[in-house]
Amino acid sequence: MDCGIPTSPSGSRFETFPDDRSGGAAFHVDGVDFAYDGTHPMFRSLALSARPGEFVALLGPSGCGKTTLLNLLSGFLPPDSGRITIDGETVTPEMPALGYVFQSPQLFPWLDVLDNVRFGLRMAGRLPEAEQRDKALAALALVGLDAAAGKFPHQLSGGMQQRVALARALVLEPRLLLMDEPFAALDAITRATLNEELLRLCGRLGQTVLFITHDVEEAVFLADRVVLLDIAPAGIHSELTIDLPRPRRLRETRRLERFTALTDTLLERISAIVAAA
Amino acid sequence: MRTRLYGWAAFPALLLVWSAAAWNLPPYVLPQPWAVAAEAVRWLDSGQLAAHVGASLLREAGGFAVAVLGALALGLAGALSPGFRAFSAPLTGLFMAIPPIAWAPLSMIFFGLGYVAITMVIVVAALFPMAVTVQEGFLAIRNGNLRAARVLGARRWQLIRHVYLPASLPFLTAALRIGFSQAWRALVAAEMLGASQGIGWMVAMGGQIGNATQVLLGVAIIGMTAWITESLVFRRIERRYRHWHLA
Repeated sequence: MDCGIPTSPSGSRFETFPDDRSGGAAFHVDGVDFAYDGTHPMFRSLALSARPGEFVALLGPSGCGKTTLLNLLSGFLPPDSGRITIDGETVTPEMPALGYVFQSPQLFPWLDVLDNVRFGLRMAGRLPEAEQRDKALAALALVGLDAAAGKFPHQLSGGMQQRVALARALVLEPRLLLMDEPFAALDAITRATLNEELLRLCGRLGQTVLFITHDVEEAVFLADRVVLLDIAPAGIHSELTIDLPRPRRLRETRRLERFTALTDTLLERISAIVAAA
Repeated sequence: MRTRLYGWAAFPALLLVWSAAAWNLPPYVLPQPWAVAAEAVRWLDSGQLAAHVGASLLREAGGFAVAVLGALALGLAGALSPGFRAFSAPLTGLFMAIPPIAWAPLSMIFFGLGYVAITMVIVVAALFPMAVTVQEGFLAIRNGNLRAARVLGARRWQLIRHVYLPASLPFLTAALRIGFSQAWRALVAAEMLGASQGIGWMVAMGGQIGNATQVLLGVAIIGMTAWITESLVFRRIERRYRHWHLA
């Protein structure tokens, strides 16, 4: 993915992060079946893939089995058959290649911001504590929150909390980032800012991103490709390549005729899905 | 600020009402507050007050400690095993419905008069409400935090050390507060029935010999001890975790 040349938000610490676009993993879902209790089918021979460094938005109407899909993609729920792999390795929640940003920030309220970001490094235990702190601070600087390192989660706004959650995932340098409507609970302005910031970070770090959303404009603005989910148990409805130029800027990109055309196409398809249900 | 003042006025108001009522009654029925204060000084000087309060606190500590260990075991088992939870729920409900003091005669038949008999009543009083609080607390640990920790690479023992343990502190403190006050109520009642010292005994004996001053002194000490532990110890600890719910 090419997000253009990002600008460093706060100088030197930024350099501790790798600046190559090959940091992304290949992601494959092959012939996945899943049913609750063996009787309520949710997915039948589901297939989905993402190229290294690709930004894929999964767009689904409500009732598309989003929660189940996320649990499958992150390895919290094993499929009945088929495989889900990151760089050929079967996915598990604990695997280092996988980063996950949840719908709500899920920060640990008993840890300050720095220790929240440091949590994964602490669990891995490979780096001395001083280095863990440096890396965590660098990750916080990436999301523009290094000044808040000593605060506790409840002292931050919802948008800031979600930035911390993003830094907490990024500090482990995941090769695949799974994002579950991470900005859905935020106000429109914060959300727009974070969308732009996310693209800047992705351009810098180069992970593969799977971004779940039900917001058509958000999907089009962010993604290289939008995958439209059907109502369960149908699986995937269709795909749409988003051929908008990068770097994308909130106001400029949304004014493009192509942007409107793409969102219209998706909206029509969603109407068809909902009508058929 | 004004609202706070009302709070500060509560105890002086109580003393005023008490004193006014005592003007109109003979002192052997309702003594004046300062008569009770003078009684307190006498008991203090003779060292008897320390002996009785000490005896009560020793029983409270023993019974409370046993109840805490039992509640942790029961609560954890209930949180981890849905089967055990279903099995224990009716029993816990039954034991919580029975006033703990009703067990005192049986406990005295079993263990004889003395430390163990009274302590067992305390254990029964504190164990079940604490076990329920502990169990509910462990069950309420946010699944989201656990998932987040797992995605960040935390393994099983790391989850216990770095998520379950810190996340459980607020409700463990609440359980301690509830258990301590339940134990304290049961202790005083049990001492009134079958002890030869302790604050409960002080009150019961005062009643039998018609010494209202001694009764009121005992009641005041019971109330103050409960209030001090509740608001100065447990509530303070709980306040530290209040902001956790906002995150």
